[in-house]
Amino acid sequence: MKTRCFHWMRLAGLVLLAAMHAARAADASPAGTSTGVSATVAAASPAVAAQAPATAADASAASLDSRIQDVKTELIRLNRDLMVLEEELLFPASTQLAVFVSMDVGKLFALDSVQIKLDDKVVANYLYTPLEVEALHRGGVQRLYLGNLRAGEHSLVAFFTGKGPHDRDYKRGTTLKIDKGTDPKYIELQIKDSMDKLQPEFEVKVWQ
Amino acid sequence: MAVHVLRHAVRRLTGAAALACALTAGVAAAADAPRHVVKDPHYGDSLFQFYQEHYFSSVVGLMVSQHFDRVANNADEAELLRGSLLLSYGLHREAGEIFARLIAHGAAPSVRDRAWFYLAKIRYQRGFLAEAEDAIVRIGTTLPPDLEDDRGLLQANLLLARADYAGAAKVLAGMTTSTGAGRYARFNLGVALIKSGDPAGGSAWLDELGRASAPDEELRSLRDRANVALGFAALQRQQPENARTFLERVRLTGMDANKALLGYGWAAAESKNPRQALVPWTELSRRDASDAAVLEARIALPYAYAELGAFGQSLDRYNEAIATFESESKALDDSIAAIRSGDLLAGLLERNPGAEMGWFWNIRELPPMPHAGHLAPVLAQHEFQEAFKNYRDLQFLSHNLQQWQDKLGVFGEMLANRRHAYAERLPQVRAKAQGTDLAGLRQRRDALAGEFERVEAGADSAALFDARQGELLVRLDSVRAVVSRLGADPEAAAARERLRLAAGAMTWELAQQYPARLWEAKKALAAADRELGEASRRDAALAQAQRDEPQRFEAFAGRIVDLDRRIQALQPTVAALSREQQINVQDMVASELTRQKERLAIYATQARFAVAQLYDRAALEREADHAAR
Repeated sequence: MKTRCFHWMRLAGLVLLAAMHAARAADASPAGTSTGVSATVAAASPAVAAQAPATAADASAASLDSRIQDVKTELIRLNRDLMVLEEELLFPASTQLAVFVSMDVGKLFALDSVQIKLDDKVVANYLYTPLEVEALHRGGVQRLYLGNLRAGEHSLVAFFTGKGPHDRDYKRGTTLKIDKGTDPKYIELQIKDSMDKLQPEFEVKVWQ
Repeated sequence: MAVHVLRHAVRRLTGAAALACALTAGVAAAADAPRHVVKDPHYGDSLFQFYQEHYFSSVVGLMVSQHFDRVANNADEAELLRGSLLLSYGLHREAGEIFARLIAHGAAPSVRDRAWFYLAKIRYQRGFLAEAEDAIVRIGTTLPPDLEDDRGLLQANLLLARADYAGAAKVLAGMTTSTGAGRYARFNLGVALIKSGDPAGGSAWLDELGRASAPDEELRSLRDRANVALGFAALQRQQPENARTFLERVRLTGMDANKALLGYGWAAAESKNPRQALVPWTELSRRDASDAAVLEARIALPYAYAELGAFGQSLDRYNEAIATFESESKALDDSIAAIRSGDLLAGLLERNPGAEMGWFWNIRELPPMPHAGHLAPVLAQHEFQEAFKNYRDLQFLSHNLQQWQDKLGVFGEMLANRRHAYAERLPQVRAKAQGTDLAGLRQRRDALAGEFERVEAGADSAALFDARQGELLVRLDSVRAVVSRLGADPEAAAARERLRLAAGAMTWELAQQYPARLWEAKKALAAADRELGEASRRDAALAQAQRDEPQRFEAFAGRIVDLDRRIQALQPTVAALSREQQINVQDMVASELTRQKERLAIYATQARFAVAQLYDRAALEREADHAAR
């Protein structure tokens, strides 16, 4: 009896081993796993990862997945069309002004906030989260302000607040005269590091 | 696998708006990557959203910018980003078409190589292995280093999938020194070598990993996994002593701890040392019963007692195990009922909010459910996560549609207000415009211009005088008339002389001032021309607006109606799919729990069988005792 029982138990152990492999195959999915682990696991059980849906239930799930894909595609397109309508309705090209903020390196300046004044009127006051600052550091360009402006001459003043070199409080302003025509106007406020002066620099680029 | 694709982008987009197939890329790693040159601010804005993991905003914003042709200077990169973002939402078909288009239209090599890579990835995920291999061999030499690692791992997976273990081992052997994927390549190489019939070579790689120092949790987990793999492989080869050596290296608290404890017990049992097996199995049997290894330990432990001849303890433990299995089975019934009632998904959504639709969203907190411990392993499964994210995306899209429907209502009102204001102001503006006799002004301007021409041609300095000079000229004329009436009277000679002097002085003064006066007059005429031009432009714009505005209003109103119709058409579809997906996810979880129940039933049957055998044994011993007496 002992022997028989032992073999059954041993088999159970091997069943668990198989289950472990199956679990690894499941782990091959990306959710919450890291590059290596997922790669590891995918390689450990490639056949499982590569298997195509075979059962009727799988086929049905695939069909549902396919319909969900179609709806998502349609909804993304619909969102695009809605946003196009919103922009054309609220910010027509003839009066549109967009102000962007970007950061080049940004080691000499830790950005806290930006204020924008248009013709002496505050139109934007933005306090940055660490994630947003990180996104700027990585090359993202934030569209900080989108509004309307009549054709003609205007003045734009931007104030940058944060920590400068040696962790000192730092506030700097930059001014620009804008000549607004009938095309949209895009202005980029660039935060740069001047390694010569060891100071941050704030420049303005007019895209159009 | 879609998730793989997106997370890599976090790293790689800094280089060129690209996505790949792995997940470790942290913010720091991404920040260290070379910065991407943004040639269009709107493309940069999509990156800004992307880096914050606002993928929906990023892809929709990017498509809006493409519609307005605002990303022309980053066109290919933007398409690559769009394809990758769509891929991250599981939209394989559309993403595949984008990558194929990029390749077909001859994008730059760096873009093309990444597009081939993603195509290979998509095809692999969809099970088109031959097509995936075809794509992967077309990748050139411009992939960034970490994508190059992923390419190697993918290629190895493809070779493993068609059982070319030696080929996979060859690919992986070239990656073992890579700083990024090296450890994982070594693990995979170990597995590939074992599968290719070289257990010694494979075990050597795994053993090296199993003994290596591991500075972080990810690598410690990998080390544990290598040791567990080695331990169970040794058990399969009936080398229990080696198995114990490997399994002893596994941490007691890691993800693989339970498997290692179970295996260690089996290694001890196989070495005919059941007493030693008691230690890991006793520890394991006290752990959370939702783990299969723990359930197995519950019946492995009484087996070890029986092996030691402690039949009483063995019987007690078997009975305890049977009671546990029954209670767990009941708990599973409760969990299944709660899942079927919809509590699980509602609770998961409530406790794990997320701003946007996205594949990187993860379940962090379980809702309060009866016996939630059963759910954790199910919820960690890839199939569940994908299905649940689809369900969550549908919920997000349902809210999104509702928000847009509300907004469209506001847009409609705004448009009606504009129409009303337009209709109200138009008569006033028209009246004002008609009050301004632009044609008359233009005639007067032309007359003046003709006069200037005459003055300039004749250098008629007397025509350009100021008010004082005008008065003096009048007085000179009246004096001239008086003097003229006096005729040749000698007494008037002095007056004539004074008149001559005064008139001469005036002529001199006017001649002196003539150039400046002429310049000023021309300047004034030019200013009048400008103002007349501006007035004409405004007049034309007004006329144009009178013609166009009603059409613009109509066009906007038409678009609002059309978009509202599209929203209304999609709402029931999204709701129906949402319900269908909810049932699908619930079935998925309930099926898994049912499988757990069946496993419990098998364990319970086996335990009862073992109990019966123990009773049989006791009865036989009693009979033997009786017979002996």
